[in-house]
Amino acid sequence: MNHSSERRGSRIAAPGIAALALAAALTGCAAPRGATGSAAEKVYVKPGTYDAYYAFLSGGHSGQVYVYGIPSCRHITTIPVFTPEPAVGYGVDEETKAQLGGRTWGDAHHPGLSETDGDYDGRWLFINDMPGARIARIDLRDFKTREIFGPIPNVSAAHACPFPTPNTEYVFAASRFSTPVPNRPEKIADYAKQFRGVVAGVKVDPKSGHMSLGFEILMPPFDWDLADAGKGPSHGWEFFTCYNSEQAYDSLEVKASQNEMDFIAAVDWRAAQAAVDAGKAKTVGGAPMLDPRDVPGLVYLFPVPKSPHGVDVDPSGEYVCASGKLQAEVSVFSVKKILAAIAAKRFDGERMGIPVLKYEDVIEAKVPVGLGPLHTQFDGKGNAYTSLFLDSQIAKWKIGPPWNVEDKIDVYYSIGHLMASEGDTRHPTGEYVVALDKLSKDRYINVGPTKPEGAQLIDIRGTKMELLYDFPTYLEPHYVQMIRAEKLKPIDVYPLAENNRPGAVKRAEDARVERKGARVDVYMVAVRSHFTPDVIRVVEGDDVYFHVTNVEQDSDIAHGFGVLWSSNNMQIEPGETKTMHWKADRAGVVPFYCSNFCSALHQEMQGYLEVHPRGTPVAAMQRPDPRKVAEVAALMAHPGDVR
Amino acid sequence: MHYLIDRFAPAERRLIWIAALVLIPVFFFPVLPIWAMKLWAPQYREGLTLTICTNTIKGDLQSINTLNHYVGMKHITADDFREFRFMPQALTLFGFLALLGALVNRRWLAILGWLAFTGFAGFMFLDYARWLYDYGHNLDPRAPIKLALFTPPLIGWKQMANFKVLSVPMPGTLLLGVAWLLGPLAIVLEMRDAKRAAR
Repeated sequence: MNHSSERRGSRIAAPGIAALALAAALTGCAAPRGATGSAAEKVYVKPGTYDAYYAFLSGGHSGQVYVYGIPSCRHITTIPVFTPEPAVGYGVDEETKAQLGGRTWGDAHHPGLSETDGDYDGRWLFINDMPGARIARIDLRDFKTREIFGPIPNVSAAHACPFPTPNTEYVFAASRFSTPVPNRPEKIADYAKQFRGVVAGVKVDPKSGHMSLGFEILMPPFDWDLADAGKGPSHGWEFFTCYNSEQAYDSLEVKASQNEMDFIAAVDWRAAQAAVDAGKAKTVGGAPMLDPRDVPGLVYLFPVPKSPHGVDVDPSGEYVCASGKLQAEVSVFSVKKILAAIAAKRFDGERMGIPVLKYEDVIEAKVPVGLGPLHTQFDGKGNAYTSLFLDSQIAKWKIGPPWNVEDKIDVYYSIGHLMASEGDTRHPTGEYVVALDKLSKDRYINVGPTKPEGAQLIDIRGTKMELLYDFPTYLEPHYVQMIRAEKLKPIDVYPLAENNRPGAVKRAEDARVERKGARVDVYMVAVRSHFTPDVIRVVEGDDVYFHVTNVEQDSDIAHGFGVLWSSNNMQIEPGETKTMHWKADRAGVVPFYCSNFCSALHQEMQGYLEVHPRGTPVAAMQRPDPRKVAEVAALMAHPGDVR
Repeated sequence: MHYLIDRFAPAERRLIWIAALVLIPVFFFPVLPIWAMKLWAPQYREGLTLTICTNTIKGDLQSINTLNHYVGMKHITADDFREFRFMPQALTLFGFLALLGALVNRRWLAILGWLAFTGFAGFMFLDYARWLYDYGHNLDPRAPIKLALFTPPLIGWKQMANFKVLSVPMPGTLLLGVAWLLGPLAIVLEMRDAKRAAR
């Protein structure tokens, strides 16, 4: 009797414990990770565990993208985009060399994650090269820059770029510095007459992500500054701020700061595409150019006080928030009112054929945030966060009456952009804000006059913002995109079975050196810890193309391929094939080696090029030592069995 | 003698049916792994896996071969094992023998089939052990890393250089074991019934 009741007790206890464990797991999910505890605890990510967010920081004039883990603020990796990166061979191997098109510099300002239904879908990251008017697409499957689109014709300084639409139908580019369109020699004094701004809509293929030019719109020669896509009720519109509606062409600092009001342009991108499809565009500089005078309803302007910078649409899509740099307020415009004014055709004149709405008709609220407001982000809980450049602060304010400021926090120093976690989507997660400070000054141990950029992590889960961490970055993040880590599913290795590149060799038996005239193609296999072939004969003056396939399928077993006394180096990931050109410009012996530490016998992973004097006869086909091939072939047998 | 040419009782005959049912599908659906080896090293915390089925060997073969070439071990490939070309057929054949034993319902036939099956299983175990011995003892003398000759574990744990290796039978073998046990079980049950009847 006693015995059985004990048993019954344990039977009850077991589900009880299970329920407790379940409850603990559930609360663990419901409460944001690390919501309580000290700042140190909130940013501490234990060795061997992962961050909750990826943060993609634009690299500014470094031309790259930095990937950080949030909340640890650890620098995870750097993705080369507009700038060659010899460590991995970006801009060195033939494919990426062609992708960069000879350029070695870009100024990467605004990363934009691809979206589906207004939320990040984790497929691609777009980023602009402002001075080059180019847009790059990074594939988040392998974190590699897979496409650089542009230079976009007629666009000069693509600053309002790329700011994708809610289903990544389009990314945009608008001219910050107007020029003659098409570009031609003109007197700068004829600015107002001859210069034009341009807004370009770049179509994104929904499957491949491939970019193509959809349309361009001729705009007044104002300085088109920033953009954001409408969503929900404002879906179909892209909003662009501008300064210099004065149309000054020199001393802009003063002359472009005279007007009380500049503008936001609301572009109906669906109407633009329809107009192009209906043949209403003229070809200018190779682009289908629309003139707003020919296409009514394409663009509307509405006044915004004092040289606005950022424009940000709130998660509901109802409010458009713009920050006049030279005032102490954020101007909030109502999409409902904008659409009503357009419908009622209540205009207050026009600029270059673009109807101008009345400020009083569309303004909803003015929020007294503080000095130098630049950008606004959202937490999805009805709050907005505006960066204040002059005050070096972030102001948290309530969206909706009474439109009051709820909290402020100091940042160090001179904040530009800020980004809330998934804060420009329809569903911000409301956990963190990353502040990007233009000056770091005295925040880090001194490294001389070139200071690092300052980034700061701020916890926005509570009613008061809390500064958690300072982290320095290399030059110079302008904007961030922060996405929940589980939304990305990057690959570990490139499946060798799917490697169909023309230069690929998957078996040592197929490795060889082929000669056609002065062109030599080396089809090479790299595997721990040798290259096949590793002795290659060429002749002075040969153009040698190394096609190197890393046949490994093990995670993180990359091989490097570097040639001595040259700028020729690249890294080949497991399953990948890369092609690199090297000119045999001098007779002699030139060693090559694996430049990425791969294995216990990495030091032995090397080979030689015999460069014979001009005119030396060399076989049209060289195959490596058959004994060695047999060895390697045995090792590499049955690549089909792999995984 | 009578005992051998006699028929099974219905319950025991059912056990022979079951054994046939387990064995016959092997050739047609050789899906269950019969043995597996898992190898862990500091930089392979997730472990590398070798899985042996009746007709092939699979898993992280390429990774394991890549690593093994440092110690000069022969590469492991399914084509090297003649066993994979007859093992599924043989097991299915034993299934048909069991089926025949149950259909004809003669003890001697069933026992003969069981004995052949037992012999085959024993042979395969020895064969597997021989392969393991072979891999660890035919090392290329020119290998970059010279190891003392070794035999990977047939079953259980073993530390080999920087790898900790676990070798275990998989569900296929367990199922085959159950099929094998059905033979003795049938006989034991019959003996018990005979004793009861005698009392």
